Amino acid sequence: MAEIQLRNLSKRWGSFIGVNNFDLTIADQEFLVLLGPSGCGKTTTMRMIAGLEDATEGEIWIGDRQVNDLDPKDRDVAMVFQSYGLYPHLNVYENIRFPLKVRKADPATHDERVMKAAEMVELTEFLHRKPAELSGGQRQRVALARAIVRKPSVFLMDEPLSNLDAKLRVSTRAQIKNLSHELKVTTVYVTHDQIEAMTLADRVVVMKAGVVQQVGTPTDIYDNPANTFVASFIGSPAMNLMDGDLRDGTFTGKNVEITGLNGADGPVTLGFRAEDASVAEAGTSGAVNAPLYTIELLGDATMLTVRAGGQMVSVKAHKEYRAGIGDPVSLAIPAAICHLFDRTTGARIAA
Amino acid sequence: MSTPLSMRQSLSLRVGSAGFLIFWCLLAAFPIVWIAVMSFKSPVDAFASNPLDVVIGPATRADGNGLSIIDIVLGLAALWASARFALRTLPRMVSRLTQPGTIVIGWIIAVSGFAVSFVIGFFVILPVILTGLNAIAGPLSTPLIGLTTVHYQSVWVDNEFYRNFLNSLLVTTGVVTVSLTVGTLAGYGLARSGSNLAFWLLILALIFRALPHSVLVAGYLPVFINSAEILRPIFGDAAPTLYGQPYAVIAVLVAINQPFTIWMLRSFFHSIPTELDEAARVDGCSHFQAFRRVIMPVMWPGVITTGLFSFLLGYNDFLVTSLLLDAQNQTMVPAIAGYFNRETTTTDQVEAIAAAVSITAPLFLLVMVFQRQIVSGLTAGAVKG
Repeated sequence: MAEIQLRNLSKRWGSFIGVNNFDLTIADQEFLVLLGPSGCGKTTTMRMIAGLEDATEGEIWIGDRQVNDLDPKDRDVAMVFQSYGLYPHLNVYENIRFPLKVRKADPATHDERVMKAAEMVELTEFLHRKPAELSGGQRQRVALARAIVRKPSVFLMDEPLSNLDAKLRVSTRAQIKNLSHELKVTTVYVTHDQIEAMTLADRVVVMKAGVVQQVGTPTDIYDNPANTFVASFIGSPAMNLMDGDLRDGTFTGKNVEITGLNGADGPVTLGFRAEDASVAEAGTSGAVNAPLYTIELLGDATMLTVRAGGQMVSVKAHKEYRAGIGDPVSLAIPAAICHLFDRTTGARIAA
Repeated sequence: MSTPLSMRQSLSLRVGSAGFLIFWCLLAAFPIVWIAVMSFKSPVDAFASNPLDVVIGPATRADGNGLSIIDIVLGLAALWASARFALRTLPRMVSRLTQPGTIVIGWIIAVSGFAVSFVIGFFVILPVILTGLNAIAGPLSTPLIGLTTVHYQSVWVDNEFYRNFLNSLLVTTGVVTVSLTVGTLAGYGLARSGSNLAFWLLILALIFRALPHSVLVAGYLPVFINSAEILRPIFGDAAPTLYGQPYAVIAVLVAINQPFTIWMLRSFFHSIPTELDEAARVDGCSHFQAFRRVIMPVMWPGVITTGLFSFLLGYNDFLVTSLLLDAQNQTMVPAIAGYFNRETTTTDQVEAIAAAVSITAPLFLLVMVFQRQIVSGLTAGAVKG
């Protein structure tokens, strides 16, 4: 049972800023995902919580203890590493048992706890193998089991799925979600994959260049991105962003004109999601009129891309929609689905 | 396994490369095989101008030291059987009879037991049996090949070569222990530290490694000779003269060897991912525990390979040992040099050869025991989990 508090946490190497002024309280039992492109400081933040990296500034509290000066072993955390970090000289059973052994847990309980952890990640058949004889997914499950064998206050997971192939990633992801539901332990999970973040998180922290961009529930950051970076990072495809001018509630840009918006006049960036917009009905003229740049069949939908507002703009159409490249298309973009951002700062302009 | 067609070599290339390999093996093995053969012959045969005489040894045979067919067959059979037992049965017995955790002790007991029974069987029981057999075998018992162990006897017993052997043992054990202890700790620290200081320490070590050995000897020699006076303020009248002592040689050899072991072990540690230490530390180890419980077990091949190189340096060293040791503390290599002097007879020379063969035997044994670890140590990177 532990709440994690990060108070104005910073990490600098010389003049290089890894993490800048990270301030967040992670509630007990919360599943928090740190999301961002590589080099954004998400792993550094996690390593500071684990104690593998010293914080340059700020305080880290786990439960009611300030842990800044504690060794990793004294912080009562368990960590899953991207490349597993299994002990190659021990078999699966001994790998899982290692934390119990080192922490001198009552030897009589070892077997029971190891078997329970192995069962949870479905590893009971492989207990006598060495890590080298396991597949990537099995290795990662051993790492998970090693983390859950002891009930720590905090789980830390550093991109645990990124070394797995796509199919395995989906099943292991489901397993992690189920485990965290069952174990009810505060979890911090680092990833650069926004789908993992959306599917797993109670709350997501989006980071860029060491600075927190937005903290919120997955729905929150998907529906109300705080700035153009979050908007373009979350969602597949990412949010369409067009540059243009807003005058008297009308957004105009190259090939585009959208009416009925609220906001101060001036240069803005307008964003909308591909699945919210649609192809204008025959005979009517939509907000975007341009020749088709490319058409992609996705199976469940057809993705149309045109050039508008200085950018590529994608819209999902019905799966049976067909057109040739270069054909003129007209897209309906109601004002209600639009997000306005400041052109220079990228920050969201409140409606 | 069949080779794919595209990888198949032409006949001439295969014959050529096989021929070259055979030639090279003969060239490399010849000196060792030849001195081994010579060491068992009387001086007349050993230095005979006809190579065939060296191999067959008519003069040795004439002296009454010869092997009959029965001797050869039974001797080879005994050797083969004991080698098979040592390589197949012994490991299985050890793993069956020892508790986990006592495996090292189990091996020590097994190996010493095997050595003792081999010596008794081969040198006591077998000769008795053979004498009996030869007495009743008739024509099969006529000596074919001259062979005498008289030189080994005079080297090891009369000349007390075992003293030199014990000195060598002391020096090499000291060198290996000190270099590996310091080397693993320093190598681990340097491999895991990203600081500039670590880099410059390594460069400095490299410079020391590049120094000729005689520089170190010349530097240490006066200090060792005067050590009683230098140390008097600390130890009083009990201050030792280090010159001539094995400990002095150990110190110099470690100084020569240490940079190399640090570099080598550092690169081994480097190939072990940092995540292993980090995982161990999060799992509840202190820094040193992580080193001992997780890193060292993974490092064994590297430690054994480095240890072997340290052993070879201490074992084969001539310059340092011959300059710094007095006569009764001499190790084996400079002791052999003592056989060659102005009054050298051919008997002395054959004895020197027998001593030289005696020195090589432990090396073969060592490489054979550790060959698997050495191979995986030389192909580092196999340690990744």
